[in-house]
Amino acid sequence: MSERPFFVFPKWSDWLTKVIVISSLVIPVYLVFLIAYGCSARTLNVNYQPIQPVPYSHAFHAGKLGINCEYCHTDVKRAAFAALPPTQTCLNCHSLIAAKSRELQAVRNSYGTGVKSLAGMSVPWVKVDDLPDYVYFNHAAHVNAGISCLVCHGKVNEMTRVYQAKPFNMAWCLNCHRNPAPYLRPRNEVTNLDWKGKNKVKLARDLGLTVATLPSNLGAYLLKRYHVPTVKILTDCETCHH
Amino acid sequence: MKRTTRNTYIFINLGLAALVPFGLICLARHERTTTPRWAIIQDMDKQPYYKAQRPSKLFADGRAMRPHIPGTLAQQDFIYINQAEARAHPRNWAKDHVILKNKKLYDSILFGQTLVSGHGQWLTQIPIPVTKRFVKRGQTEFNIFCEPCHGYNGKGNGTVNRWDQRLRKLGSPEAGTWVPPSNLLGPGVAYLSDGLIYNVVTNGVASMASYKDQIPVVDRWAIVAYVRALEKSQKVVPAAKLPYLIRTNLKPLPTPGSQ
Ligand code: HEC
Ligand code: HEC
Ligand code: HEC
Ligand code: HEC
Ligand code: HEC
Ligand code: HEC
Repeated sequence: MSERPFFVFPKWSDWLTKVIVISSLVIPVYLVFLIAYGCSARTLNVNYQPIQPVPYSHAFHAGKLGINCEYCHTDVKRAAFAALPPTQTCLNCHSLIAAKSRELQAVRNSYGTGVKSLAGMSVPWVKVDDLPDYVYFNHAAHVNAGISCLVCHGKVNEMTRVYQAKPFNMAWCLNCHRNPAPYLRPRNEVTNLDWKGKNKVKLARDLGLTVATLPSNLGAYLLKRYHVPTVKILTDCETCHH
Repeated sequence: MKRTTRNTYIFINLGLAALVPFGLICLARHERTTTPRWAIIQDMDKQPYYKAQRPSKLFADGRAMRPHIPGTLAQQDFIYINQAEARAHPRNWAKDHVILKNKKLYDSILFGQTLVSGHGQWLTQIPIPVTKRFVKRGQTEFNIFCEPCHGYNGKGNGTVNRWDQRLRKLGSPEAGTWVPPSNLLGPGVAYLSDGLIYNVVTNGVASMASYKDQIPVVDRWAIVAYVRALEKSQKVVPAAKLPYLIRTNLKPLPTPGSQ
């Protein structure tokens, strides 16, 4: 008499094994892709658009009125920090124009002509682009090397409220530091976000050259002219982490 | 239902369900958020030191950066270095900084005045050597800081002035108490001495605000030089009125781009 087996897998367990084998192959791959996509810097960092205390619009001031970025971000050419404008800068115009506008209440509070308890305090602007504190960044170095605000901040002159346009992760910074030439432009066009460089006569004037002596490879020429350090220095860890 | 069709049915559904998270992430990528990014591992993202323009609880006004105390001078006030230019032209470094070594230079560069028998008098000349590079620099700064009101050509019809004229035509209350900016090419400004124009930029005049916090001292003088250049450019003498010898030696201008 044949012994009865202690336990027999029921028939449907065939099906279960198949499911387990297939899912143990597919699910890890799936999760890797999902996490890589979901936690990428592009997903996490870009498009952060905080609500600001004043509905200040770059699209109007920098775009329509065409005020130069440096009128407000005065330090961008001189210092590491680009600096948000002090209240006085807004008052240059807004003491005379739209002076009673409701939207400018926070500016008047800060200036001392609004709520008295807030006089002398800063307008509490919310920081949009924020690198971790262990990274060193320098605006003057980039702007004086002929890199436009456009490359790192996107079309600010068309933004009603500023949002972060680029991921600002290490790979993104290094991508340019390995080959900065294509991003360079004449230094005095850095704040002109609509610059295309198509107009040869204008380009020659910007560089103090004539059309005939215009270099065929603008990037390589500017690299030399603006004394941009070598790729080895630019990709050295110490450049950004010190 | 046959087994295989049921299985494929389940597979397709599972496959579709698996795409949902990707779809949600894709949506999140293209939507603006008002919540800051979150770091999975905080590392040392936020360190307990102050960066520029950060808030601080130590001071009543909530700023970590301390404002300039009236009546005092910062160390850097004694040396003006035109950093942007000096970075780009290391050889010109010496030309680009002015050391205020004595009281006379100090008064003239910082205040646009000299002492004449105990009284301050406005300078009639720019106290910094005026080179082509200096005037060009003035042009750049003028186009940044003065253009919105005085216009590129200095005639007083900048973009903000034009906007105000529009508001006025529409009868908008926002037009406010705007005063049309002065024509910098008119006789009013031509009679101002260089020191006075410098003083207008530094301390403002009537309804024009002070620009001393926005523009460094050397750049203010560069702007004065450029305002003078603008004035000169408007006093062009027609070729027919030039002295005979100069007129006959004139060469025709090359057309741009033909050389
Ligand atoms: C009239 C003054 C003014 C002008 C001109 C101006 N900005 Fe701004 N900018 C501000 C103010 C005020 C803020 C802070 C409020 C905000 O983020 O919207 C700001 C914020 C920003 C930020 C976000 C900073 C952060 O918090 O991380 C960027 C980037 C920026 N500006 C770029 C530009 C660029 C590029 C231009 C030129 C096209 C420009 N700005 C012109 C006033 C100005
Ligand atoms: C060079 C001049 C100038 C400067 C500097 C300036 N603005 Fe303006 N701003 C204008 C003009 C012109 C308008 C249009 C007014 C209108 O049409 O009602 C305006 C409109 C505004 C409005 C909308 C007001 C309304 O009721 O329509 C806000 C908000 C504003 N500005 C905020 C700011 C802030 C904040 C700053 C400082 C960072 C600033 N502005 C600096 C010229 C300026
Ligand atoms: C190479 C990329 C790059 C370029 C070019 C650049 N920025 Fe930035 N900007 C950044 C980064 C990164 C930050 C965040 C810095 C931080 O958090 O420490 C920033 C921050 C800012 C801020 C917030 C204040 C601050 O310094 O943190 C302003 C305002 C600003 N940028 C304006 C400008 C303007 C105006 C220009 C063009 C003249 C410009 N930036 C060009 C990368 C760039
Ligand atoms: C579009 C190109 C580009 C991008 C993007 C870029 N950089 Fe740079 N960076 C440059 C160039 C070009 C230089 C060399 C400038 C010089 O010193 O002349 C430079 C120089 C630097 C320096 C040296 C500054 C000094 O004081 O000499 C630091 C630090 C730096 N970058 C940090 C960063 C960080 C951090 C990021 C990312 C948030 C970044 N950069 C993104 C092009 C870029
Ligand atoms: C061009 C500037 C630059 C250079 C050069 C650079 N880094 Fe970074 N690094 C960054 C930035 C920006 C971040 C912040 C990334 C973020 O916010 O996700 C960073 C972040 C990091 C982090 C933290 C990563 C994390 O997510 O916690 C490490 C570790 C690091 N870098 C190591 C290095 C090493 C090692 C080198 C030299 C091989 C180096 N870095 C060179 C810009 C740079
Ligand atoms: C916000 C608009 C505005 C800006 C920007 C501005 N100005 Fe003015 N400016 C005025 C107004 C308005 C007047 C007329 C003042 C009055 O008569 O009430 C004026 C007058 C003047 C005068 C004549 C003073 C007199 O005594 O007749 C000079 C010179 C001058 N500005 C130079 C400059 C220079 C140089 C700059 C650039 C740094 C500049 N302004 C930027 C609005 C502006």
